[in-house]
Amino acid sequence: MTDNNGSEAAVRIERSFDAPVELIWQMWTDPGHFAAWYGPHGATIPVAKMDVRVGGTRLVCIEMQTPDGPMQMWFTGEYREVVVNERLVYTESMSDENGNVVSPGDMGMPTGHPAITEVRVELEDVGGRTTMVMTHAGVPSDSPGAAGWAMALDKLAAHVIAHSNR
Amino acid sequence: MAIDEDRLSETFAALANSTRRAILALLAEGAATVNELAEPFEMTLPNISKHIKVLERAGLVRRGQRAQYRPCALDAAPLEEVSTWAEQYRPVWEARFDRLDDYLKQLQPQRKTGENDD
Repeated sequence: MTDNNGSEAAVRIERSFDAPVELIWQMWTDPGHFAAWYGPHGATIPVAKMDVRVGGTRLVCIEMQTPDGPMQMWFTGEYREVVVNERLVYTESMSDENGNVVSPGDMGMPTGHPAITEVRVELEDVGGRTTMVMTHAGVPSDSPGAAGWAMALDKLAAHVIAHSNR
Repeated sequence: MAIDEDRLSETFAALANSTRRAILALLAEGAATVNELAEPFEMTLPNISKHIKVLERAGLVRRGQRAQYRPCALDAAPLEEVSTWAEQYRPVWEARFDRLDDYLKQLQPQRKTGENDD
């Protein structure tokens, strides 16, 4: 499933889809399409608000059925880069239903979960198919210009770990 | 593996600066003195020292105690903690993209899916 053994500082996944880039772009930016695939198995996405423009906000609810009834998790964030059919970058934080950020620790997430993460999606048309590279990295809360560093960090960590395994 | 949350924040903060990442990249090649590190950056020594102190506090750089040059060396352990966080999310995304693939097949059943993907 993965082609490395945990040597990267961000999750980076490259996939090829048998669909045109325009459709893959909609998968990320059209609430109806997004809700169809994003949640875990058996979950629903009752809310997906997406103001897809730089500085626009997003609010997504994932609802799961548990023995104690439905459980909702809310995520908010902001779009940082929007280049139609090419590149989408947005931040993500856990929140309440009004989009107020809550700390991951309060939500019972594992310690070490950064309060803000950044998702970067890059699409490329390859003869009618689409190659997609998704990078998900933790970003420091005081670093609004974080878009670029996840990639550099990724490379650096791989380099460092290769060297430290000598 | 337990992760120290404060330390992780400190690591992220330390890495959120291009000069500091460049310093780490240089140190990945081997230990270096502050003078050697300052050279490629056209920065004053006090300035570069400030960046090195931030990296030291985050545990990403260790400095030798004995020589008067006190060479800097990289410590990759905090980077591995960052990596541990990231790896928890890999299977989540892989599963999402499996579902995306299925959904795309429902949406465009007419499309030929002859070639092997990935």
